[in-house]
Amino acid sequence: MSTNRRTVSERIYGVLLRLLPFDFRDEFGSEMEEVFREQEAAVKQERGAMKRLRLWWETLAGIVGVAPREHFSILRQDAGYALRLMRKDPVYTIAAVGILGLGIGVNTAVFSVVNSVLLRPLPYADGDRIVTIRQRAAKAGVEDMKFSVQEINDYRQRNQTLSAMVEYHSMRFTLFRNGEAQKVRTGVVSAGFFDFFGVHPVLGRTFSPSDGRPGAPPVLLLSYEFWKQSENGDPGVVGKTYEMNDRVHTVIGVLPPLPQYPNENDVYMATSACPYRSSAQAMANRDARLMSVFARLKPGATLEHCRKDVSAIAQRLEQEHPGSYPKAAGYTATSAALPEELRRNARPMLLVMLAAAAFVLLIACANVANLTLARIARRQRELVVRTALGAGSGRLLRQLSTEGLILALLGAVAGLGFAWESRNLLVQFVERLTPRAREIRIDGDVLAFTVLCAIATSLFCGLAATLYSRENVFSGLKETGTQTSGGRRAQLVRSGLIAAQVAFSYVLLVGAGLMSRTLINLEHVDAGFVAQHVLAVDIDLNWSKYTTDQQWRDVSRRLLEQARMQPGVMSAAVSSGFPLDPDGTPGGIPQRFQVEGHLPDQVLPVANIRAGTPDYFRTLGIPLLAGRIFAATDTETALPVAVISRSLARHYWSTEDPVGRRIKFDEATNWITIVGVVGDVRDFGLAQEPKDQIYLPDAQNPSPGSLLLRTAGDPMTLARQVRRAILNVDPQTAITHVETMEQARSDSISAPRVAASLFGLFAILAMVIAVAGIGCALALSVRQRTREIGIRASLGADSWDLVRMVVRQGMWLVLLGLAVGLPCAFALTQGLQSLLFEVEPTDPVTFAVVLVVLAGAALVACFVPARRAARIDPMVALRCD
Amino acid sequence: MIVRANDEISSPQAPVTPAMFNVLLALVDGEKHGYAILKEVAEQTQGGVRLSTGTLYGIIKRLLAEGLIAESRTRPAAERDDPRRRYYRVTEAGREVAVTEAVRMEKLIARARAKRLIKAFRPA
Repeated sequence: MSTNRRTVSERIYGVLLRLLPFDFRDEFGSEMEEVFREQEAAVKQERGAMKRLRLWWETLAGIVGVAPREHFSILRQDAGYALRLMRKDPVYTIAAVGILGLGIGVNTAVFSVVNSVLLRPLPYADGDRIVTIRQRAAKAGVEDMKFSVQEINDYRQRNQTLSAMVEYHSMRFTLFRNGEAQKVRTGVVSAGFFDFFGVHPVLGRTFSPSDGRPGAPPVLLLSYEFWKQSENGDPGVVGKTYEMNDRVHTVIGVLPPLPQYPNENDVYMATSACPYRSSAQAMANRDARLMSVFARLKPGATLEHCRKDVSAIAQRLEQEHPGSYPKAAGYTATSAALPEELRRNARPMLLVMLAAAAFVLLIACANVANLTLARIARRQRELVVRTALGAGSGRLLRQLSTEGLILALLGAVAGLGFAWESRNLLVQFVERLTPRAREIRIDGDVLAFTVLCAIATSLFCGLAATLYSRENVFSGLKETGTQTSGGRRAQLVRSGLIAAQVAFSYVLLVGAGLMSRTLINLEHVDAGFVAQHVLAVDIDLNWSKYTTDQQWRDVSRRLLEQARMQPGVMSAAVSSGFPLDPDGTPGGIPQRFQVEGHLPDQVLPVANIRAGTPDYFRTLGIPLLAGRIFAATDTETALPVAVISRSLARHYWSTEDPVGRRIKFDEATNWITIVGVVGDVRDFGLAQEPKDQIYLPDAQNPSPGSLLLRTAGDPMTLARQVRRAILNVDPQTAITHVETMEQARSDSISAPRVAASLFGLFAILAMVIAVAGIGCALALSVRQRTREIGIRASLGADSWDLVRMVVRQGMWLVLLGLAVGLPCAFALTQGLQSLLFEVEPTDPVTFAVVLVVLAGAALVACFVPARRAARIDPMVALRCD
Repeated sequence: MIVRANDEISSPQAPVTPAMFNVLLALVDGEKHGYAILKEVAEQTQGGVRLSTGTLYGIIKRLLAEGLIAESRTRPAAERDDPRRRYYRVTEAGREVAVTEAVRMEKLIARARAKRLIKAFRPA
C-alpha cells in the first residue's frame, strides 16, 4: 500500500506515463502506477542496485515500446472515422481543403523563393567566404567604380586577408558560327575563375593558367544554356571552333547549369583573349576601369578584417597616385560578402511577399476554424451522445484535432500543387531581382515547410474547436437539436474569427492598393519621350571591321539612309543607345566633365553621354527647351557641340542660360559648346529620377548602337524590313533586340507589375475568403435562430426589420475588423516604403477606397442570409424543434 | 528476456503473441491483478519472460478488446483488497484461444522431436 506522499520514483514513473495516449492513461494509469510501486518494493527488499537498474530499464523500454503503437492505433481509428465523416459532408470538405490549399499553397510558393534566394547557401565552393571588393568615388557620385588591371594587381599583391582573387567583366562580342553573326554575352574572367568558385565543367575542362597568359591561343567555355540552345547539346562540341574578334576560338568545355554571377553569359573567355582587357593601353592605364573583383577570405580572416585591409590599400593608392584618385573625389574601397550582395535587391520584396502570404494563411485558418465551429455546432448531438457513452473530453478533442490535421494535410497536398503550378511565374518575377532565381525549386525544405504549415493550421483550427467543445459539448445535453445557440464563448470565438479575417483582409488589400497605385503612377509618369509609334533596334556592328571614326560615320550614314527609305517612316535616327534599353546602356556611358569657369580642383561632375544623329530628339519626341538641337552642319570639321538635359542645366547654370557655355571631358583639350537644352528623360527606369545627360552629335562622336524609327502606323510591321535593311548595310551585324518603345516602357515596369499582380491576387483571395466566411457564418446564425426569427415575425417584425437585424449583426463584426485592421495597416504598410512610387504608405485615398470596397463586399455577403431570414415563414419556424 | 507487445506472432495461424499467451496462461487457473500476472509469468518461465508494466497493460488492452479476457466483478475480502487494483479473468473465448495455441505448440514440439531436434521429455 502506498502513502499519500509520492516518492521520487513514483513521480518519474508518472512523467513516463505521459508518453502514453490520454485514454490509455485514463484507463490503466493508476493501476500501472500501483503495479510499478509493488515491483519497486519487491526490488528494494532484494537490496540490489543492479536489480533496481534493471527494473527501470525494463519499465522505460516497455513504455517507450508501447506508446507509439498505442498512439498510432488511436490515430488510425480517428483518421478512419474522420474520413468517413468528411465523405458524408463533401461541401464542407471541399470548401475547407480548397481554402487551406490556397493559404498553404501561397505560402509554399513564396517560401520556395525565400528558401532558394535568402536562406540556402550559395552553390559555390565555400560560398560564404567569398567577398566582392568595391571601389567608390563618393564625392564624384560614383558608387560602384570598376577596377583597372593595375588596381587588381595592387590589391592582389598588397592584401593581408585574402587567399585568392579573380576578376570578371562582361562584354558583347559578335560570334560567327557557320557564317552567321550572333551577338553573345561574353564573360571575361581570370584563368582560375571557375576553380575559385568550385565549378566543374559537364564537358571538357575549364581554363588553365596557360590560357590566361598573354598571347595564349584563344579558347572558350560555353554556358550550359548556350550549349543546349545553340549547339543542341552536342556532346562533341569540345574542339569546335568559332570566329570571334577576328580570331579563331576553340571550345574547351561546357559549364554546368548553375546560376551565373554577376551576370548570365553565353560564353566565357580568359582575360588574354579579350581584345580590350589584353590591350597595351588597358594594361598601362590605371584609369581604364572595367573589371569586377571577387576574393576569398583567408582562414581566420573576417569580413571586418578584410574591409580594414582594402581600405588601407585604397589610402596608400590615393597617396601614391594622386592623379588617378583626386582628393576631391573621395576615393575609398570596401568589401561585401557575396551571398549578401546576391540577396540585397530581392530581400525587401520577398519579405513583403512572405508577410502577405502569411496573412492569406491566417485568413484561411480563421475561415476554416469558423467552418469547423459551424460543423461542430451541427454535430453537437453526436458529440453529446459520444460523451454520454463514455468518451472523455480528451478523446473527443483528439478526434476533432485528427479531423483538423487530415483537412490540413489534404490542404497541404492541394497547396503543393498550387506552388508547383505557380513556380514558373515566380521564377520570372524573381529573375528581375536576383540571379539566384533559377535555383528556385520545390525541395525537401519546402516540403517540410508545407507540412509545418499544415500542422500549424490544424493546431489553430484545433484550438478553436477546443475552445468551443470545452464549453458546449458537455453542456449540450441541456439543449436540443439544431437550435442550440452554440454558447456565449463559442459565439465570441466565431465573431472574433470573422473580425480577424476582415482585419487581415484590410491590411492585405491596402498593401495591394498601394502597389497598384505605384503601378498606375509608373504607367502614367512622364518618361520624357513619346513612346508611341517608335521602333527601336539594338545593333552590334562587327567592331573589328571599323577602325577609324570615318568608317563609323559612313556606316551610321548608310544605316540612316536605309531607315529613312522604309515606307511610313516619319523620322529616323542612329544613336549610341536609347532610353530604357534592356540590352545596352540605357542612359549612355557615365563620364566626368569639366564646366568652363569652374575651379579646376573642384570635384568633376558626372553625366551620361549619348551620341545621336540630328533627328534623335524628334524621333523620340524629346522636347527642345532652349537653343537648338543638332543640325546637319554639326560635322566632324565643325565646332564641337552638345545638347544638355534640363536637370544638368539646372545643376550647373541654375539662373543663367547654358546655351553658349562650354564643357570638356576629363583631360581633353577641346571645349564643347552647349547649343541647346532638352527635356529630362527617365533613361534608367520610370521610377528613377532623370539623371544629368549630355547629348553629342553622332557625326562628331560616331558610335552607332541602335536605330530608332518613328512611323505613321504600327511600328512592329516594319521590323522585318528594317532587319533586312540593316543586314544590307553590313551582313555581319548582329541585331540583338527589336522592340517598340512602348514595349520597352512596359517591360521596364514588369517587376512592379508582377509584384502588384501577386499582391493583388493574394488580397483578392483573402477578401473572397473573408467575405464568403462572413456570409456563411451569418447563414448559420440565421439557421440557428430560426425559431427566434419566427417569433419576431409573428410579433409583427416585417421583412425589412429582419433584414436590418441580420445585416447589423454582420456589419458590426465588419466594423470591428476594420477598426483593428486600420491601425495595423497603418503600421505595416511602412514596410512597403521602398517598393512604392509617388504614393505614401499611409495614402488616405487608398485606405478609404479599400475600406469602402471591403465594407461594400461584406454588406453584399450579409444581405444574402438576411434575405433568407426575411423569407422565413413564422408558422414553419415555430414548429421547428 | 524482455517480451514486448509487438513481438512477432509465433506463426501466421496463431492469434496471440508469445507474451499474450503467457498472460492468458497466467489467468487460466484463476483471476489475478496486474502485479500477480507479472509475478506468475516471471516465476513460470524461471525469469525467462519478464513483462514490464507498459508491455503488460498493452497486452491487457488488446486481450480486453478482443474479448479474450474480462475484468472480474468479484473482488477479494475488503481487508485484502486494494481499490486501485483491477482483477482480470480469462473468458471462454480466451480459454479456447489458449488451448488452440497450446495444441499448436505441442504439435510443433512433436515435429521437432520427430526430427530429433530435441530429446523426448522423460520425467525423472
